[in-house]
Amino acid sequence: MVAFKEEMVDVGGTKVHTMKGGSGEPLLLLHGAGGNNGWLKSIDALAEKYTVYYPSHPGYGKSERPEWLETIPDMAAFYTWYLETLGLEGIRAVGFSMGGWIASEIAATCGHSFSKLMLVGAVGIKPNVAEIADLFIISPAQVLELMFHDPNQAPEYQDIYQKELTPEEAMTAETNREMAVRLCWKPYMHDPRLANLLARVNIPTRMVWGKNDQIVPLECGELYNEAIKGSDLVVIENCGHSPQVEKPDEFIKIALDFLA
Amino acid sequence: MFLMRFTERAYTSYTEEAVRNSANEAVRLTFSNKNFDPQIGARQYNEYLDEYEYCEEVGFDGLMLNEHHNTPTCLGATMNLEAAILARNTKKPKIVLMGNPLPTFENPLRVAEEIAEIDMISNGRVVSGFVRGTGVESLAANVNPLHNRERFEEAHDLIIKTWTTPGPFRWEGKHYHFRVVNPFQLPVQNPHPPVWIPGLGSPQTLVWAAERGYPYIYLETDPQGTQDMMAIYTEAAREVGYEPGPENFGYLCRIHVQDTDEKAYESAKGFLTGNVGVGRVPVPKDYMLPVGYGGKRDDPKISKYLGRIRKDPFLGLGLETASYDQILASNRWIVGSPETVIRKLRETLSVIRPGILGVWTNDGDTTHADTMRCLELMGQEVLPGIREIGKDLELTDPFQKKAITA
Repeated sequence: MVAFKEEMVDVGGTKVHTMKGGSGEPLLLLHGAGGNNGWLKSIDALAEKYTVYYPSHPGYGKSERPEWLETIPDMAAFYTWYLETLGLEGIRAVGFSMGGWIASEIAATCGHSFSKLMLVGAVGIKPNVAEIADLFIISPAQVLELMFHDPNQAPEYQDIYQKELTPEEAMTAETNREMAVRLCWKPYMHDPRLANLLARVNIPTRMVWGKNDQIVPLECGELYNEAIKGSDLVVIENCGHSPQVEKPDEFIKIALDFLA
Repeated sequence: MFLMRFTERAYTSYTEEAVRNSANEAVRLTFSNKNFDPQIGARQYNEYLDEYEYCEEVGFDGLMLNEHHNTPTCLGATMNLEAAILARNTKKPKIVLMGNPLPTFENPLRVAEEIAEIDMISNGRVVSGFVRGTGVESLAANVNPLHNRERFEEAHDLIIKTWTTPGPFRWEGKHYHFRVVNPFQLPVQNPHPPVWIPGLGSPQTLVWAAERGYPYIYLETDPQGTQDMMAIYTEAAREVGYEPGPENFGYLCRIHVQDTDEKAYESAKGFLTGNVGVGRVPVPKDYMLPVGYGGKRDDPKISKYLGRIRKDPFLGLGLETASYDQILASNRWIVGSPETVIRKLRETLSVIRPGILGVWTNDGDTTHADTMRCLELMGQEVLPGIREIGKDLELTDPFQKKAITA
């Protein structure tokens, strides 16, 4: 396992908890609405080739939230500040689910931030046919049920989702849910202007989707693929919303092939 | 003592099985409206309005209304419409709106206009209650629950300013923005209709209401816990320099009367199908308390009050799921002949000492005929009996207090 350290990055007075590990060129990972699940097998594999920066978004986990930060565009603006603070520019980025929406917003509005972009089960674009599952009117247990095609094929499922939470961890989970509500309530999990802005993106971009994603339909991946010139869409069979957890080996291969 | 009549105006022509088979087994929010028959609704709306109009004849001081959305448990989705009808068709009772769910509205000025119109049509009989709306209303209106309290307070401030400050003026708030505030619909009552705040006793709202001198109406909360809530209100009131009395407190209680205890026992079973829904299937927590609805956990002004309210013994089990006999034995619902009801009410009123009593006479599938008989007996025996108790206990209501002060 690659060693990683945790640090608080000060972005204009806001402390952002960041896991950093590995070696090589920098790679930014942006987590989804549920929060940062820690240094998973798939992240470790990426860290063997790259220096991984894996922050908890402002308002999530141990990261602070500036009062003004209420929307995904706010989050994108904040992350360009974060990258500037760290002296990072033109780096590789992978965004998972809501993190994919943030990464897309950054790529569409700040062209020099990223050199390559990978979106995994990303929200941000409203599907025309299906619907993004409404995670805000169901319980966390119901969300978890929707997340996986078959939890038995996710080697880290027990460690991540079945462990007993300490009171502090339970509070963090609740705060994370609140932050997701803050960011994604309305319009729900999408921004009507995003697909139009994505026409500006001119870096290599890959979408990765579980074919059986019950939270963000595959149609969203197709719409991203249409919106971004020269992108491709890789679909993983028998896989739900989190390929990096449910099919880590396949995910790692797809990611490393693209990022190389 | 101010006596106001209430019912949820429930629709009950559906089955428990339909609820169990619905999304998330919920009678609210996602229970399909294919289970609603407008023909039955047409009959019920008119019966409910007839009942309210009859309440004037039997001697109630107020007609209390509320509203909920996406649910058969309360047909009052636009309470102000019912209020407008009652404003025109009655002459004396106050029209008590308990209350308009401010955060769920995108345009509070429309609410200010509607209430002002009702106040004019009724010649100054509106009591304007405001609520945050139960959590599920945030979902029904698709308003971010994290903004609920901020929107409540801002909409309230805007409405009060609209009623009290000559327009035109501009409003640039956090959640509401109006280029020109200048409605020609202004309330008859000066400076504006009385504002009462109904609720379940969250310390934040208790303090907020106390700071403004708004009477707080406890919605059938546990009598012991209610005393703790009243103590919080009282402390907050003293901090801003006044001593609250019964005129600052109201209590809503289910009270059903018939000629005999036996008859009342049977006909009050409508309480088991009304606002809790047929089958009393508990509504999912994520509907009633959506993420963020609870508000900030670290407000120092409020944190000193947390943990001071005794836990409702029915909480967890829930008034919704406790057995009928358990609830009646606890006197949380008061059911019986006039004599029984008056005797039991004396106990409740002695403990809580409210100047305002909400009399929730019926609900659910209690028949219209039984309801009308209940109201008749209320007028003949129960209301006079309660007024006597009110005098004995010196339960002054806000209007009596105002008259004394004047």
